[in-house]
Order: sequence, then structure tokens, then C-alpha cells
Amino acid sequence: MSATTRAAHFVSAYKTNPISWWLAGLSLAIVASLTSNILVLLFICVGTLSIIKLCRDDSPWAQSIGFYIKLAAIVITLRVAFRIIFNLGSSTKDAFLLLPSIDIDFGFGNALKLFGPISATAFNFALVDGFRLAAIILAVGMANSLANPRKLLKSTPGALYEIATAISIAINLAPQLIASLSRVRRARSLRGQSKGMKAITGIVIPVLEDTIDQSMGLAASMSARGFGRKGSRSKFQIIGARLLAFIAICLIVTGSALLLFSPDQQVLELTFLFIGLVLAVISIRLSSTRGTITRYRKEPWRLGDAIILTASVALMVLAFGGAFAR
Amino acid sequence: MIQLKDLTFSYLKSDGSKVSETPQINNVNLAINSGEFVLVCGPTGSGKSTFLKTLNGLAPSFTGGVITGELRINGVNLLGLEPHEFASVVGYVNQQPENAFVGDTVIDEIVYCAEQLGLPIEEIELSVKKISDLLEISDLLERPLATLSGGQQQRVAIASALVAGQKILLLDEPTSALDLVGAAEVLRVLRRLCSEEGVTVLLAEHRISRVIAEVDSVLVVHGDGSVTKGPTATQFNDPRFVPPIIELGLKLGWKPLPITTSDAARKWNETRPGFQAKVISQPAQEVLSVRDLEVSFGSVQALHETSFRLAGNQITALMGENGSGKTSLCWAIQGSGTRTKGTVTTYKGDTRDLNTAERLEVLTMVPQRAADLLFLSTLSAELEESDRYAEVPPGSTAKLFQSLAGRIDTSIHPRDLSAGQQLSLVLAIQLVKQAKIVILDEPTRGLDYSAKHALAKQLNSIRSQDRAVLIATHDIEFVAMVADRVLVLEQGKLISDSSPLEVLGAGKPFASQLAEISQEVGLISIEQVKL
Repeated sequence: MSATTRAAHFVSAYKTNPISWWLAGLSLAIVASLTSNILVLLFICVGTLSIIKLCRDDSPWAQSIGFYIKLAAIVITLRVAFRIIFNLGSSTKDAFLLLPSIDIDFGFGNALKLFGPISATAFNFALVDGFRLAAIILAVGMANSLANPRKLLKSTPGALYEIATAISIAINLAPQLIASLSRVRRARSLRGQSKGMKAITGIVIPVLEDTIDQSMGLAASMSARGFGRKGSRSKFQIIGARLLAFIAICLIVTGSALLLFSPDQQVLELTFLFIGLVLAVISIRLSSTRGTITRYRKEPWRLGDAIILTASVALMVLAFGGAFAR
Repeated sequence: MIQLKDLTFSYLKSDGSKVSETPQINNVNLAINSGEFVLVCGPTGSGKSTFLKTLNGLAPSFTGGVITGELRINGVNLLGLEPHEFASVVGYVNQQPENAFVGDTVIDEIVYCAEQLGLPIEEIELSVKKISDLLEISDLLERPLATLSGGQQQRVAIASALVAGQKILLLDEPTSALDLVGAAEVLRVLRRLCSEEGVTVLLAEHRISRVIAEVDSVLVVHGDGSVTKGPTATQFNDPRFVPPIIELGLKLGWKPLPITTSDAARKWNETRPGFQAKVISQPAQEVLSVRDLEVSFGSVQALHETSFRLAGNQITALMGENGSGKTSLCWAIQGSGTRTKGTVTTYKGDTRDLNTAERLEVLTMVPQRAADLLFLSTLSAELEESDRYAEVPPGSTAKLFQSLAGRIDTSIHPRDLSAGQQLSLVLAIQLVKQAKIVILDEPTRGLDYSAKHALAKQLNSIRSQDRAVLIATHDIEFVAMVADRVLVLEQGKLISDSSPLEVLGAGKPFASQLAEISQEVGLISIEQVKL
């Protein structure tokens, strides 16, 4: 990597708060789910892809975008293909694709109709739907490939620190596994194998051992530097916080379930949700105010973040405005 | 500062219920003063790492096993506590800092421990400033860790271990992967930490020849459970790991034994011992021809157009700083590594065009991460598989392994061997193969001096069978002992190809210790010195 490209990476992905990428990604996803204008959806797809192209660095998580692009393409294809194959109740009025229909008779009920003439409206609807899903996938993919998980770790509240650490180690594990797989395969070819040795053990065992060794090494290094200290919290505080968190999660889940399935008892549901949220906040506070971990440098908000956020808010306002105006 | 009383540590036996009969560390009683610089050494696999780990709870927390006795730090017995309870008093740095990094940038990494210990922000700021000045990394604070050199990374790891004001620093072979410059950088800051900041440093090392002049005392982990500590000159009576300078003193019967290069130089001038000319094998039949070889990774050119030939009866050393392209060259020659241009011709054709089995017939190689080659569940299974594959009489690999690493219970799992023992095992497995070309990438990391002598003997016998040996290494003393020819790489370019007498002679950048001591032309290796 030349000095200039390194510098470019430094100011782009390196110098932005991971939270702002997640907010941008989520707001793009929301906009995509609200609109059915194919131009807007295309704009989001192209936009996210070009942002990723511009801002990504060569970190392992940035490599994940290939996966999201493939997923998005598959989703569009499947959505349109399904519409054409399982062609239910399409009116023949503005048919633009006149396919012969196939009826499969199971011997009971109505016959299953496959293919047949497809109206432009139906096709258009399927296409827009496919692109909407693709836009959502790409928006989330953008956040995931641009936001540095280690930095995201720094912005999580203290109570969630242990979980966040586990997640960030897990995220690092996959690329590490791939790296050690290619290394071990190369090394194995130096050794050779006598007849009767299973080839698979020669690869799998060293890779797993290597990955476990490395994770243990990292864990040991973290532990030797004070990670996992319970600090000044009493047993009562720890148990209390966990109990509160459990009750809070139960209330929030019940509340949202009720709200979705029987939207007529709104007072009860909202009370559930409200109490749940309050308890969750108290629980996080209780575990976070333990004063055992300092955040030396909280991720600051920079100009780049301001631009990203303003753009996302403007997009949201436009989208909601558009949705309500209709 | 540190007091050990009847400290005993044993690994559990593989059945998980019984304590093994011979503890790794047995009834150790010793004291270490504050500000003392202690070198921890011992033969390969004697338990140096384990000993260090017992001092901050990593053993038994991360290794399993049982610990008894007393471990007093500042008068308080901390035995049996978890490593994070030691974090505020003991800093720990391991062999490969890149595997232990939790941050992305230097500053993230340095403050990690202080954050975990909950120090106030103002205090962290002050201590970051102080520690980064001390370790000479102040201008690197915003750099991503991946862009640093090995020596810089190791200094960041040390800063990170001392940021919370820890006064005890444990280092497990911090320079074994570093070139001369990097290792010297690290050693210099360690000396400074002891004398200026009163930090107690325990440094486990194999390349002790260049360290012993700096340390206050030497602690030896003998491998039979006993651990002794004393002044430097009194500690080297075990022939398995006598460093060259002491070996020279013992050989010539000097009393008192010299420890520093200047002591030895004075003694040399007084006595003027005689020496033989170095026996250098002259090139005969050509075995390998490298022509216009070039290696690039993306926009980075790791190796610029390089050409040379290897003869069947010569041992060639490949030297150069970290990142100079030694490893890329080894893999490119082997055939499976990246190659941008050029040819590597052997008697079977270009190595790139050969399949795996054909390559193995022509060439055998030991890579830097030797443990990747091990995949069976017991030492004996590995040794037998090696004999079978190489079609050598049963027991051949075991015999060679024993000469390198000593007698070891063959029922143990290869992963339970120490780093040096694993390397010895892979060396044995690869060297019993009869391939015409032998490539070794850093084959002396973690080996004690007796293992190095055994390896040299094996390489000499390979040379006598008209097979070519290429060794990429930082180990000057080993090169002085075995090499007939030295290639030097600098930033991917082959800058010199000459006799070891020139490259390792007095006043040269890679001068061997004996050359520096004696200042004699043509003398680089202790074997040459006459009694």
C-alpha cells in the first residue's frame, strides 16, 4: 500500500465514528423500506456501493461486502423468478410477458398454476420489492463493512462491555480462521503424508489448534492487563443488575408481542414497554457506574460524522415526508 | 520485591485427575530485588515460559495445573489469584505481540490496561506521555499497529504492560523474532527501565550472548524442577546452554569468566590464543539455480530481480533485517509461494511446475511457524509417520529428534512441547527426508546451544551427501558456525554474496561476537580457537 492510499484510508474509514455508519446504514434501510419508487431504490443501491468503494479500508470486516453484494443479487433474482413461476391472480389486462401456463393437478382442490401471462404491474411490483430488499441488505452491509467492530466496542456502555468484547473477538475469529487455513495448507504440503493417513486430519487439527491457541493467547494477554476484573462492585449489585435486566427483557418482549398481535389494548402494552425500558436503563446504569473501566478516548464526533448524520437525517425527513404526503 | 517460598507448580497428567510426579517447578526459594534486571534462561523446554507465567497467575489460570507455596509481591502473598488481579503490579509481554494486541492504533493498545484498571483520565494521560517517551514511541501514537516494525511493536507491547505504573515486567522471549536492530532497541529500553525507573525486569531469552552483559543476575530454570539465581558468571555450568562468550572463557580456561565483550577482548589481548583457518567447503556440483526471481504482493515488491546458484556441498546462509524478503524468497524457491517473475531450476525442472509429491522429492523446507506441520496426537505417532513417509529405518527420526531436544516422553501431545521442542521435532521430520535441497527459515528460534550444535552436526552431514542447504536466519553465531557462504538481502535486493569471513568479520554489520572480541582477520567461530 502506497503512502497516499494509506493516508486516504486513514481519513476515511479510520476517522469516523462507527456509530455514525450504523445510523446511516439503518436510516437508508428505513428509507428503502418506506419507498416503492424504483429510482430511489436504485439510488440507494448505487449510493451504498459507491460509498463503500470510496471509504473502505483493507481490514478483514471490509472484505465482507462481497458477501452482501452476492446476497442482494440473489434476492432480486429470486423475487422476480418467484413472481414469474408462481403466477397467482395476475390479471391479463396489461400482460407484457405472455408465457404459456402449466397446471399441475394434485387430484384435490384447485390445480397449481405455474407461469402464464404476467402483467406489467405485477412484474414491476416484484422488481421493486426485490430491489427494496436488496437496498436494505446493502445498507446494512455498508454499515457492517465500514464500521470497525473494535471501535464500536469503545462506544458501548460499560454494562454491555463483556458481551461486546465476546462479539468483537468472534468477528475477528473468522478472518483469522481463513488466514490460518491457508497457512496450514501450505505448510502441510511441505510435510507430505504416508499412505493411509487421512488428509483431512492433517489440515483440520492444526487449524483448529492454531485458532484456539491464538484466541487463548489474546485472552491471556487481556487478562494479564486487567480484563475481567470485577472491581468494586458487590455481589448484590451484580446479581441485582442481572435480575433487573432479565425482567426488563421479559417486559419489552411481551409488550412488543402484544402490540403486534392484538393492537387494541394499547394502554397495557405501552405500560409494559415503558416499565421494561425504564428497568433496562436502570440495569445498564447499575452495571456501568461501577467505575472500574475508564474510557480514555471516547470516539469523538468529527466533521465526517456530522456530514454522514446530516445526510441520513435529511434522507429520513424526505422519505417520511414523501410517505405521509401520499 | 518478589519473594518465592517453596513455590511448586505441576501440570496435571493427561487423565486429568492425578498430579504428575515430577513438577515443572519444584520447591523454589528465591528473592528478586526491585530494579533488578534478571535474565531467565535454561535448556530448550525446561519451563522458562511456565516459570514466568506463575509469577502473574497465567499459570495455572491459562495453562491448567496446580500451584503451591508462597508468591510474595511487595510482601503480599498473591498465590492463587487470577491474572487480572496481578495486572496493577505485574506487566507481561509475550513472544508474538501481534497476537496479543487488542487495539488498532498504538494509543488504543497502550491505554488498554489503564482503562481496564479504571485509572482516572488525567492519570492515564500523564502516564501515556511518560511511558511513550521512555520507550521512544511518542511519535508513533496515532499509527495503526499493523504498520509498525517488529521492534516497534514489541516496544508498544512493553509500554502497554507498564502503563498503569507496574514495577515488575515479565518478558517471554521478546526478541526471538526480531532482527539485530530491533532486538538491540528492545534491550536498550529494558536496561533503561531498570536503571532509571526502578522496574524489575525478568527476561526469558535464548539468544543470551548479547544480553548477558546487560543483566544484573541470571536465573536458570534447569528443567528438572529446580530454579537457581545468582550473579551472571556463576550461573553457566550447564553445557546445554552456555553462551559463546562463556564457552570461549571455559574453553581457554579463563578466570574469572568474562561476561562482557570488552572483558573478553582484554583477556584475548593478554593471552593471544592461536586459531585454525575456517574450513570452507568449495562449491562443486550445482543443485539449484535461481534466475531473475521477483516477488510482489500487490504494489509491494518483496523481492527484486535476484539470481544465484546453490551448490550441493555448501551451506548457504541468507541474512537481512525483518522484512528484507528472506521468507518470500524461501517460499518462492519452494515453488508454492508467490512468484512474479523468474525461474528456479532443479534437476526435476522448475519447482513451480512440480506437483506436491515431486516437490517433496526435490526439496525439504522448515517454515517459520514450524508447528503447522504437526497434526498427530502423540509424539511417537509423529515420529513413526515421519519414518514411514521418508522410507528410512524405524527410529531414525526419533534419533535425530533426541539429539536436538534430549530425551522426551513420547506419549505426550506435540502441542504440549515447548516452542523450541516443536521446532526440533519439525527439523527432525524434515531433515530425515533425503531431498537434494534443504531450506530452513529461522531454524534456531528457541533452541538452546546444545540443540544448535546438534543441528550444525546434522547440516554438516547433509552437506557431505552433496545436498544444498539454505538457511534464512538472524542468528549470527549459528551462521559463523555452519555457513560456507552468506547472501545478504536488504529491502528485497541481494546486496552481497560472499564468504562468511567477510560478512561476519570484525567491524562488519553482522560481526560475530568472537570476531568483535578477537579483532583477528579470518576468525569468526569458536570451533576455530585452538586449546
